[in-house]
Amino acid sequence: MTEDKLPVEADASTAAPTASASASRPAPPRAGVASAIGSRLAALLLGAACIAWTATPVLPGGLAKTALTVAIIAVTAGALRLATADIPQPEDAYFLPGYLQAWLTFLALLRTLAWEETAAVAILWLEIQHPLRPWHTAALGAGLLAYLLATHIAESGADAGPLLRRQGRVLAAGACLLALGAGFAMIPASAPGVGSAILRVLAAAAVIAAAALVLPG
Amino acid sequence: MSADPGASSQVRAEEVAVSWRPSRHARRLFTLAAAALLLAVLTRNAALAGVAGPPLLLLGMARAGAGGARAGAGRVSGRSPGRPDRVSVRIGLTATRVYEGEPAAVDVTVQDGAGQDTAAPASAPPASATVPAGRPGPAEPGMGLDARHGARWALEPGKGIEPGSATAVNGPAARFTFAASRWGKRALGTVTLTLHDRWRLAEGRVTFTLPSVDCYPSPAVQRTTVVLSKLPNRLGEHRARVPGDGTEFMGVREFVPGDRQRAINWPASTRRGRLQVNTFAAERSQDVVLLVDATSDVGKPGESALDLGLRGAAGAARAYLDARDRVGVITYQWGGAHWLAPSLGRRPVYKIIDVLLTADTGYARGAVFSRLPRAALPPGSLVVAFSPLLDGRFVEALRDMRERGVALIVVDVLNADPPARRLFADVAARRIWRMEQDAIRFSLRELGVPVLPWDGVTTLDLPLAPYTRRPLMGRR
Repeated sequence: MTEDKLPVEADASTAAPTASASASRPAPPRAGVASAIGSRLAALLLGAACIAWTATPVLPGGLAKTALTVAIIAVTAGALRLATADIPQPEDAYFLPGYLQAWLTFLALLRTLAWEETAAVAILWLEIQHPLRPWHTAALGAGLLAYLLATHIAESGADAGPLLRRQGRVLAAGACLLALGAGFAMIPASAPGVGSAILRVLAAAAVIAAAALVLPG
Repeated sequence: MSADPGASSQVRAEEVAVSWRPSRHARRLFTLAAAALLLAVLTRNAALAGVAGPPLLLLGMARAGAGGARAGAGRVSGRSPGRPDRVSVRIGLTATRVYEGEPAAVDVTVQDGAGQDTAAPASAPPASATVPAGRPGPAEPGMGLDARHGARWALEPGKGIEPGSATAVNGPAARFTFAASRWGKRALGTVTLTLHDRWRLAEGRVTFTLPSVDCYPSPAVQRTTVVLSKLPNRLGEHRARVPGDGTEFMGVREFVPGDRQRAINWPASTRRGRLQVNTFAAERSQDVVLLVDATSDVGKPGESALDLGLRGAAGAARAYLDARDRVGVITYQWGGAHWLAPSLGRRPVYKIIDVLLTADTGYARGAVFSRLPRAALPPGSLVVAFSPLLDGRFVEALRDMRERGVALIVVDVLNADPPARRLFADVAARRIWRMEQDAIRFSLRELGVPVLPWDGVTTLDLPLAPYTRRPLMGRR
C-alpha cells in the first residue's frame, strides 16, 4: 500500500487564494513538482560543474583520480538522495520481497551518509592536487557555496528568491573575501621559504575574521 | 479523494517547546570551511582560505544574530524573537468518524507562542469552534512566523492511512487530506513542524501526534428487507397477517357495533344487504439481530471474511433501521461476545457499528461459548448471521439457535480458498476441506437455515432476493 504513495512538494501559501484565507482554512496543498525538479536539477548541475571546473586539466596521479572518483560518486549520490527524498518508507518492510528490501536498503544508505560534505572535501582535495591557481580556486569556492545552497533549497523546499535576498549582503561580502584570498595568494613571496606562504594564509584568515566581526547581523 | 472534505473543527490546541539545533546546511558549510582552512594551512594556499570565507561569514552572522537577538530580547521578555522557544499549534479535523475510503482532512496551524501569549490571550477560539471557510482566522501571527522562519510541515501517515495530498508543505498552515483504507480505530500519524532561523542555519523541530479517527466499515448496499411471517405485536411498517389499523386492504367482514363508520364498504353492503366493513392488515415491526462471526478472518486484507461480514452487517443495520425495525448486534468471537440489545431509530447505527468495531480475531484460550446471551436475542427475532462458517463452535451455536426456533439466515462471506499446490497431499487436503465446507452448509440447509453466499461486491439484495419476496417462516 505504501508503495503507491507519491507525496510531492507543495507550498500552501501559493495554493491559497489570499493570505488571510490560507490562515483561516488552509487550502489543499498543490503539487509543486516543477519547482522541486528544478531545484534538484540545479543542485546536480552545480555539483557537476564544480567537479568539471576543478578536474580540468585532468591529472594523471592516483590521488587526483581517487578524489575525482569520490567526488563524482558523492555528487551523484547526493542528487539521487534529493530525487528520492519523497519516497516514503513502508510501514512493514519485513515481509517485502528481496528486491524491494534491497531498494529500501539503498535508499537508507543514500539518506544516511553525508554525500554533500564528502563531495565538497573531495573537490577541494582534487583542487590542491593542481599547481597554485588562485582565481580558479576562488571561482571554485563560489561554485561550492552555490552547490550547497542549491542542495539546501532543494531539500527544504524553500523559496530561493527571499532566501538569497536575505543573505545577499553576507554573500557579497563572502565574494569579496574570495577575491581577497585569491589576491593574497598572488602576492609574490617577499622571501623564499615556508614562512611567507603561511603568512599569506594567516593574513587571509585575519581578513575573514575581521569581516565577520565588522558586518552587522 | 478529489472531493473537498469541507471545513474542519478544532480538536486540539497546544503550546509546544521548540528545540533548536544546527541545520544540515550549517553542518555542510562548517565542513566546507574547516576543510578549506585546513587545506589552506597544509598547502600554504591563501586562496583556499578565501574559500572558507563565505561559509564562515554565514555561520558567524547566524551565531551573532541569534546571540544579539537573544541578548536584546532577554531584557524585555526573556524570549528570543529570532528563534521562538514555544509555538502554538492547532489541529483540526473535518471528521472524527469516516467510512472506509472516505476522504477527510486534517488542518494544522502554527502561531508564534509569543504572539498568542502577549498580544491576544483571549482570542483563541473554543475547542469546539469550527473554522469557517474563506474567513480571516486568528492565525495572523502565524503569517509573520512563517515569513520569518519558513515553517515546513511533514506528515508521517499512520498505519492504514493513505495520504491524498502532499505530505510536505511549506507555510503557516497546512491541510493534509487522507483516507483510511480499512475499518478500525486509526492513528493518523505524526506531523513534524520545522522552523528555520533567518540564515537557515539553525532549525527548530516540533513533532506531535495527530488524533485518531474511527474508520467505519463501508456499508453494503441493501434496499430490500427480509420480513418474518409472524411479527411481534408492535407498531411498525411491515404488513402483518392479522387485521389491524394499517393502510393495506385485507378483506371485508360484517359490521359489528364499535366499527368505524368510515370503514363501511357501501358497494359490498348493497350487494349483501347487510352492513359490511373493510378490514386492513396490521402494520408491525420486527426485531432483527445481526450476528457477526469474528472468530476467523481469512482472505486478503480489505476483502477478508471479517471485512465482508462487517460491511454486510453495517448495510443490513441501515436497511432495517430505515424500515423502522429494532436492530441489535452480536459479534461472536473467541473471547466471548459483544452485543447490543435491539433498539430503534437512527442513532443506533453508530452504536451498532461501534460494537462491530470491537470485533477482534485474536485468540483467547479457554473461551467456551455454547449459547448466545438471551438478552441479546429477543423471542421471535430475525437473526441474520454473517460468517465464513469456519469455526465449528459458531456452526454449533447456529444449530442451537435454529433448534430453539429462531428465524435464521446465514450470509456466507467466505471468499478465500486454501492455496492451490501441486503436491498430492495438498490437493487431497484441499478437496477434503472443500467437502467439509459443503457438508457444513448442507447440514445447515437441512435444518432449514438458508446459507446465502455473498462476494462483497454485489448488493446484499441479490443473495437475499428469494427471502425478501415472501415472509420468512420462524418456527418449523
